[in-house]
Amino acid sequence: MKRLSLAPIALALGLSFSAQAEPTITICEWGTITGADALVNGMAYGARDYFEYLNQTKGGIAGVKINALLLDGRYKLDEELKIYRRCVSQENAVVIGGWSTGAAKALRADTTKDQVPFMTQSYSSDLLDPEKLPYMFMAGPTYEQQIILGLNDAKKRGARRVVLMHADNEYGRAPVKVIREEKAVEKLGMELVDVIEFKYDAQDLTAQLIRVKESKPDVVYIQSSTNQTIVILRDAAKIGLKPDLFVGNFYNINPAIPEQLKESAEGFRAVQLYTNWGVDIPAMRQINEFSKKNKIEKQDIYYMKGWLEGMVIAAAIENAVKANGGKVPEDISAFRKATRDQLAALKNFDTGGISPKLNYADHRGFSQARMAIIKGGKYIGATDWLKLADDQ
Amino acid sequence: MKRYLPYLLFIAALAITPFLDRFVQSLVYNFAIAAMAALAVNIMIGFAGQITFAAGALIGVGAYAGGLLGNAGLDVVSLLGAGLVTAAISVFIGLPALRLRGLYFAMSTLAAQFILEYLFKNVDPVTNGLSGLLIEPPKFFGIAIDTEFRTAIAALILLLLVWLACRNLTQSQLGRAFLVMRESEIVAKGMGINVPQTKFWCFALTGFLMGIAGAMLGFSTHIANPEAFGISLSVDYVAMMIIGGLGSLTGSLIGAAFITLMPEIIQRIGEHLHLGSRIFAVREIIFGALIMLFLIFEPRGIVALFSSLKGNNQTPGASTAK
Repeated sequence: MKRLSLAPIALALGLSFSAQAEPTITICEWGTITGADALVNGMAYGARDYFEYLNQTKGGIAGVKINALLLDGRYKLDEELKIYRRCVSQENAVVIGGWSTGAAKALRADTTKDQVPFMTQSYSSDLLDPEKLPYMFMAGPTYEQQIILGLNDAKKRGARRVVLMHADNEYGRAPVKVIREEKAVEKLGMELVDVIEFKYDAQDLTAQLIRVKESKPDVVYIQSSTNQTIVILRDAAKIGLKPDLFVGNFYNINPAIPEQLKESAEGFRAVQLYTNWGVDIPAMRQINEFSKKNKIEKQDIYYMKGWLEGMVIAAAIENAVKANGGKVPEDISAFRKATRDQLAALKNFDTGGISPKLNYADHRGFSQARMAIIKGGKYIGATDWLKLADDQ
Repeated sequence: MKRYLPYLLFIAALAITPFLDRFVQSLVYNFAIAAMAALAVNIMIGFAGQITFAAGALIGVGAYAGGLLGNAGLDVVSLLGAGLVTAAISVFIGLPALRLRGLYFAMSTLAAQFILEYLFKNVDPVTNGLSGLLIEPPKFFGIAIDTEFRTAIAALILLLLVWLACRNLTQSQLGRAFLVMRESEIVAKGMGINVPQTKFWCFALTGFLMGIAGAMLGFSTHIANPEAFGISLSVDYVAMMIIGGLGSLTGSLIGAAFITLMPEIIQRIGEHLHLGSRIFAVREIIFGALIMLFLIFEPRGIVALFSSLKGNNQTPGASTAK
């Protein structure tokens, strides 16, 4: 039975939504365009632009244009859940890209029930379970793995005493809880001397940093986003803690940090999962070509992540079409399932230098990372690709 | 005919819902749940004059209570349980109203909002902390509420029941006592109204209804997450009152529809006009501007606008003190 969409509301407003004349492959994603976390929303633009790049250079996938829909979840759970339902039922999206950890967790059961491939921007380990969550995918190591990678690097530099700082939201608290429960710091041969939680929207963290100073740590790992790291490094400078004491996760590789903090950010390290914007790699050359005719909204590492996700999703769809004799499956359920199977089957996938080659059987693609350090107002590579102990 | 209009609208909504796609069905239950809570908030603020900024947290209490009871297999009873738990919390939050009035009481509800938010985040054994409480779809009379369609139907039926309860309440002796208390507690006392008892019933009944709305919200999202019940949700409900019409049950429904549907309508118009990413910023600006326009040109809300158009300037239940 054909279901009604919002057309009645549109008609009431005197508008008409014309049916699309040509068949398209719809990929639907949402980001934080206007809400909190907008500093890292290059990811959302990067994926959309890759699909548009395919439309402009290859006519889409298998000759079928891609309808890449980018919506604004505003980092609000109800808005994100609403958008998911629109993507699944109204847009008939083959693949959906989601944003917040909270929304992705809320949608775990739905993605399995709806059998729709879901690429999450979260790195929460609660979302990574190929057996129980066969339709959930991410692009890189989990937050917990990033903490271990960052601390392992600090250990190599002689650090022993560890303080963990995290925001008072799901993104901040959950990975630290896992690290503590699994005694991951102790397993590295280090000592966890303090764990400090702070408000996600805190504007002054001097008191917390005085507590950090009293703990005399060798390394402080920050599990939070760019905005809070700026506050932490700013207030650390006030009480004489040097930036090279601090290590952040992937969401702390942001030009805003050195731009705003100047010398107070020099020596700060962060886990780098993807090659940074502007480095001469094949993927960057594609982006440069695309930018000649199109505006790039965000020129940062998060955009690179989005571009990578676009490559991965497009490859899975292309393989699903090939497996169907070169035709786009007419049945959306079959198309989604085939795309999921092809996504999980991706092996040694070349991302044009954005990351190591990907193997998606584990639904995260890769588990390596580099450490980046701020020097001269810029992030530069501090190490080569580091592997997790359990992957070696 | 006017008397039967709500029932006709309800039957029409029930009849059309099966033919809507899942997304629009989700809009239907989002509206119905918001309308239930808005009716309760309007009774509290618009009829009884008790300004509250704790609606978001009370809806959260309902979501957690309903989720916990539903996960324990109590199914439809979980709705009533959520209502009772929230009613108890609402009465507790209302205790300062025995000593405080107006903005001072409003500030005390704001404090309650923050305390409850803190508890949602930190009482892990009950709320599962920041991860949120995962909620299994319940069964109402043997039917699993596990699809958008069934959730929409359940929410619409509950909305009708809540609306009938509110209508009867406002026409009862207690409802009239609310109105007198809103205008002047001194006059109410002079008329022999037991003000503390009237306030008790106000907080208990509206808390009960907000609890039911909260439980339905949890059942629809399958999660009770502390970030979803923040102060912004409380502000949304105050905005619904202002836009729809303070002291009007119909205004509550209109306000709920405006807040839940208008951003989506603006978004779709923007997409139709190919505004691209700009629509996201434009949407917020248009939405904010519309609220400001209402505040300036029709502070009594949309329902008063309709009354004016029909030549009737008096909104039922509306305060005469403007």
